[in-house]
Amino acid sequence: MLKQILNKFLILHDVQAAIVIQENGEIIQSMKSGIMIKEELQEVIATIMLDSKKTAAQFGNASLSMVFVEFSDHFLILGPVMEEFYLVVIAKNTANIGQITYEMKKNQDAIVSLL
Amino acid sequence: MIDQLPEGKSIGWMQAPPQWIFTHTVRFVGVVRIVIQDGEGFILIKKGKPLVYYFKHGRIELRGHAALDYFNSHPIIEFNLCKFTPEEFSQALKICNVDEVIPESAGRQDQVTHVVTQEKAEDKTVEVQPGIKQPEREPAPVQPEKPEPLAEKPELIRVKSPADNTERPLVPQPAVLEDPDIKIIGQIKKLNGIVAISVFDDDRNILLMGDVEIEPLLKVARTMLATTNKITPHLDWGSFVHMTLQIPEGNVIVAPYHENHLCILTTRTINIGHIRRILRDLQQERTQNILL
Repeated sequence: MLKQILNKFLILHDVQAAIVIQENGEIIQSMKSGIMIKEELQEVIATIMLDSKKTAAQFGNASLSMVFVEFSDHFLILGPVMEEFYLVVIAKNTANIGQITYEMKKNQDAIVSLL
Repeated sequence: MIDQLPEGKSIGWMQAPPQWIFTHTVRFVGVVRIVIQDGEGFILIKKGKPLVYYFKHGRIELRGHAALDYFNSHPIIEFNLCKFTPEEFSQALKICNVDEVIPESAGRQDQVTHVVTQEKAEDKTVEVQPGIKQPEREPAPVQPEKPEPLAEKPELIRVKSPADNTERPLVPQPAVLEDPDIKIIGQIKKLNGIVAISVFDDDRNILLMGDVEIEPLLKVARTMLATTNKITPHLDWGSFVHMTLQIPEGNVIVAPYHENHLCILTTRTINIGHIRRILRDLQQERTQNILL
């Protein structure tokens, strides 16, 4: 069921991966296309999750809403789903960010219900 | 006098050491409007050459080096760079009573004449710059070498800004931003939803436009940069463009900018796509410059 939800992201233009991941880097479920999710990438995502949570806390204990890291070829969007679980989307820079973030918000409750 | 000056085209408000103004206005023609506490003043500049220094606080007016000394007594001042057209500049020269031929070193202490005048029983120190027509007044019998420092008149102007209590040294900024850079930063600042924008390096803030406390913001920005530095070597995704952290109150964006970094604070309602396009353009420009 979670795969079906993640597949909604994968059908978006130039999205390469949709991952539900735990704060410790453990992947709960993922859907990918044209990309390998190696241990190194898992560590990168875990670093972004932990660092961003701490950074957001510097704003008067603000909660983290979303993190967006962009490089010239790809970008990564990470949003908290619940407690220690995050939804991560990796896409080529030609993908539509608005569409991705819209789907992230739209499907958050459905993902929570499956965790 | 300030109110009579042409408005000019505002590039944006920023905070920086006074020395920054002189090292970053080589191609700038216009007025730098300065606000210090409850007073306001300006520096009329023609391509890096300061022509007039002026500051007013209540009924106290400082001109020439007295005004410059006052600006320099603050480690950081808040100012607005406003560009003038040639017509506006001519108008400003007339308003400031400046002769058309401006000496090369209008701001140098050794070419400054000091005059002390009395007006309405209130001491007033007026320093006259070369090239400025003097009002027809009888000079007082005593001409001091230097105007009395403002610190000795605490009841007239509070000299010490809160920043004076910090240990920030007043040093010229080693990092250099050119006029086009200031224009670009100013244009980004003007976009809807931009609260503040800062250019910073590993040691300090170089330029700030917007009304925020810079140190806490830079602390966050540096933490974000540290994260990107940790992850970038492990990703084969091209060069770093930006990192955006979204919290309920808004967004913090960090991005490379030449050899420095940008930190942008925005509201939640910002058009992130617009900012992203700008940052990508800046990044492409940077890549092209490296290749050239």
